[in-house]
Amino acid sequence: MVSPMTASFPATAAARTLSGQILAIPMTVAIFSGAIALFANSFWLSAATSAIALSLSVAGLAILYGQLGLVSLCQFALVGVGGWVTLRVGHAFHPPFEVSLLAGGIVAAVVGLAFGLPALRLRGLYLALVTLMLAGAFQIIISAWGFPDGGSGFLGRADGAGRAMLSRPSIAGEAIPYFLYVNVFAALGLMIAQWHKLARPGRAWALIRKGETVAISAGVPVLVYKAWAFALSGFLAGIAGALLAGNVGQLDGRAFTSFESLNLFALAVVGGVYNWYGALIAGLLLRAIPALLTDLGIDGYVTIGIFGLALFQALATAPSGVAGQISGLLNRLRAHLGKSGAE
Amino acid sequence: MRHYLSGLAAGLALFLISTCGANAAASCGTDGSEAATGEPIVIGAITGKTGPDDFSNSTKAAKAYFDCLNAKGGIHGRPVKYLIEDDQWNPETAAQLAAKLVNDEKAVLMVGNSSFVECGANADFYKKSGIVVVAGVGVPRECFFAENYAATNAGPRASMLGAMGYALDQLKAKSVVCIGPNIPNVGTWSCDGIALLAKEKGFVAETILMDPGTADSTSTILQAAASKPDVIILGLPKGVTIPLLTAAEEQGLNQTVKFLSAASAYDLSVPGTIGPGWDGNFYVNMEFNDLEATTPDNQNWLAVMNEYGQTSDPRDTFAQAGYLAARIAEKALMSLDPKDVTRESTSAAIRQVKGFTSDIFCAPWYFGDSQPRHNANSTTRMAVSEGGKWKVISDCAPSPDPELADIRAFEKSIGLAP
Amino acid sequence: MTYLPFLISGLGIGAVYALSGVGLVVLFRATGVLNFAFGAVGALGAHVAWQMLEWRLPLAIAILAAVVVSALVSFLYGRLLAPLLSRRDTVVRAVGTLALALVLIAVMGVIWGEFPRRLQFPTDQMFLTVFGVRLTYTRILALLLAGLMVGAITALLSRTRLGLDMRALANDRDLSAILGVRIRHTETAAWVITGVFAGLAGLLLGDLVRLQGTFLTFLVIPAIAAAILGQLRSLWITATGGLAIGIAEAVLTPIAAISPYRAAAPFVIALIAVAILGSTAQAGLKDR
Repeated sequence: MVSPMTASFPATAAARTLSGQILAIPMTVAIFSGAIALFANSFWLSAATSAIALSLSVAGLAILYGQLGLVSLCQFALVGVGGWVTLRVGHAFHPPFEVSLLAGGIVAAVVGLAFGLPALRLRGLYLALVTLMLAGAFQIIISAWGFPDGGSGFLGRADGAGRAMLSRPSIAGEAIPYFLYVNVFAALGLMIAQWHKLARPGRAWALIRKGETVAISAGVPVLVYKAWAFALSGFLAGIAGALLAGNVGQLDGRAFTSFESLNLFALAVVGGVYNWYGALIAGLLLRAIPALLTDLGIDGYVTIGIFGLALFQALATAPSGVAGQISGLLNRLRAHLGKSGAE
Repeated sequence: MRHYLSGLAAGLALFLISTCGANAAASCGTDGSEAATGEPIVIGAITGKTGPDDFSNSTKAAKAYFDCLNAKGGIHGRPVKYLIEDDQWNPETAAQLAAKLVNDEKAVLMVGNSSFVECGANADFYKKSGIVVVAGVGVPRECFFAENYAATNAGPRASMLGAMGYALDQLKAKSVVCIGPNIPNVGTWSCDGIALLAKEKGFVAETILMDPGTADSTSTILQAAASKPDVIILGLPKGVTIPLLTAAEEQGLNQTVKFLSAASAYDLSVPGTIGPGWDGNFYVNMEFNDLEATTPDNQNWLAVMNEYGQTSDPRDTFAQAGYLAARIAEKALMSLDPKDVTRESTSAAIRQVKGFTSDIFCAPWYFGDSQPRHNANSTTRMAVSEGGKWKVISDCAPSPDPELADIRAFEKSIGLAP
Repeated sequence: MTYLPFLISGLGIGAVYALSGVGLVVLFRATGVLNFAFGAVGALGAHVAWQMLEWRLPLAIAILAAVVVSALVSFLYGRLLAPLLSRRDTVVRAVGTLALALVLIAVMGVIWGEFPRRLQFPTDQMFLTVFGVRLTYTRILALLLAGLMVGAITALLSRTRLGLDMRALANDRDLSAILGVRIRHTETAAWVITGVFAGLAGLLLGDLVRLQGTFLTFLVIPAIAAAILGQLRSLWITATGGLAIGIAEAVLTPIAAISPYRAAAPFVIALIAVAILGSTAQAGLKDR
């Protein structure tokens, strides 16, 4: 399914809409990041950096769920995979940050593809549960391994001395430049995802969603496009993990529980999986809302409770997520403007 | 419900009468008669409150002490503005909060931090920002291997080896099984210490690492018992220690093997929770003095908690750690010109702290200027579970951890140790 | 080292996994909702029981209170909130229960905090010795309870009108509605039943493992592994699978290389099962 917004446009405008829709991404991100970089303090800058990085992994989920109707409950584990590889490569070879980042993305894409293999046969809740099992197994392994911190050996754990931190890219060492740097990658990632949705792969995915037999008879290589969706989703998660690792300089094995993956999916649905800005909204909900509650000094448990209530409220009242509501509002606004312009 | 509440109130009243009756009033700072009104000195703290365990008692006690200090003249008339943040056991949150306290709130010092995840996430940031941390309770290795981070507690490894020393000297143990969590820099770090000591002193040691999230404690205990050790030594959070002890009791091991634990199990509720089956069979290391010790500084801690803390704040070993951290900070700040309290001057003053004595510590506390790592508290006591309470059974003894060699050498060089 | 003692030690947890797995499957079959809040609901009940025992109320009342509270919370969610999502994807409906789990974690955190607590039953002190391992009566009770509950539910499904309705719903929801099955009524009954299962599982876990809100909440994920083994349909296979998972996790203990990772056993077993059963599962688990 192509996003409802494009569907409502006439076919002749499709090409213009495609580039327009994709260009809207860097513009929105630029305005948003500029505002944050100018006004935010260190605390909010750090929270916003995490939020933007995580929105990339949500964009991956949105492709699987929004385009193909496939549910992955191990996306946060893939974020962990990307972060692990980035740290491993970074500490072992000290390449430029971008190289470690790409390595993280690529390995996470391969792992995501492997995790997606059962999907070639499974669908719906059963697939979701299988991926949840993967997330559960990953949790046990990563909490025992930890993340590389400059030591030797395959696991790269430092013993006896302080932990080494992964250095940030040389052009973005400080908090604000790094935040902008993350935004650039986020915009690129979201544009890649959006292009996929609007161009050929998106059409293939839409057909597959309608019915695999239909897709096959239309000459779509179903397996290839499904596998590609999983790899792309894993790649985006891996990049998110790499950007997170760069933010703090390291990661902690205990932060990658299977419950986090569940949470990520829940917020992807709340943010909205049919519009590209749903991912941004989900990222903000994941990191900025808890940061706001923390900043207000609200008890951690109360925060969890508020989060739970808000989650249910959003699920029950906004089937296409917050982004879907915004999109509906924009469409109504546009229709209204069009009408008044014609008068 | 009402019955419960009235019982609680009666107990509380008794408690207050008994403690207040015996104590002098809380003493803080210069014990001035007027509250401090000058420009506040900002001190930050990060603690792990929401999550698998609640570590916030350390910051609660530090807060009580600073409140007391502010009411009694502050730092030469300047009050302390103490900001506590909850990292929710998430390193990412811990990093955000550190940025908030250090960069946004412009804290000059961090005091009383007690978190499982914070040291690893922030040690580097603190060093870069030139801010010093006088932590309450440090747990993973990173807390004791950082340049700007000095905890008042001994840490799980020193504490575990303290318990091992007791097992060797007093319980005449010849073989031991060490059980730790399979989390890097915590379980492995502690159990490696036991293995190292075993090689040095020639006893038999075996290590079992377990996933702290496992629901199956019995199997871990059976595995530990299989090699028929004299003692089993635990280095786990108290939430994991209790099910292991329960499983051990189920198997009757409390009658045949002695169990010891690092200080993480030294919590007032533990002897009551594990029950009478463990009387005289479960030993625990203590990083600080007996919680009910009648020594002057310990009594002052209790008095501060009574007058300035909440009645619900636990009077536990974490609280002792936070209280001590706050007192060390106060001592350093008092040495400064009140007009010149900056991050630089405060850090320099903390670095100079040497020979800070309190009867809650076994040995004087020092920061260790220019040292790459800090572990001033490495002399500990032991207690045993008896009748629903802890009974202190040993005098202060230095932890026999071979890894403390550099610390001991430094102590010798500054004349603290013989 | 012999594996037999570990076989015995795995029975207790295995029984709880079995009980939890069956509780999940009963609800899923009747309503199509996978209950991520199962662990949290049970944990709430167990905390209530602990509180009752602290107030020196009799054990029987504490146990009853735990089960009632769990069933009540489950009932309220099933009656009032779950229908709001009834027209959505299976996965979204499951995610709705995640919200319930979060709220319950918050409630337990605010009221009881994270303290290591322990529920104790008199049966903890009585035991049989098998293969040199003591098997407490609590564990035996857990096993009996698991068997009894599965038997009772099977009887309910095959002998009663409610059971017939539940099976009809599991088979074809829309057709059942047309045929006059009281959907709301039947679904609510399933929510109450799953609440009772959760309460019992929570009590046993509070005794056998530990009483800690977040910890018990997350234990739902290995229980889901048992449900996967039963392909979310068969109660007896789910129960046996849960038991097998518990035993496997325990028996891996003496293998030094695997021991630190043995908590992953439920997930790995479930994944292997899916790899083998995949094709048949596809037939059984079409999208609802």
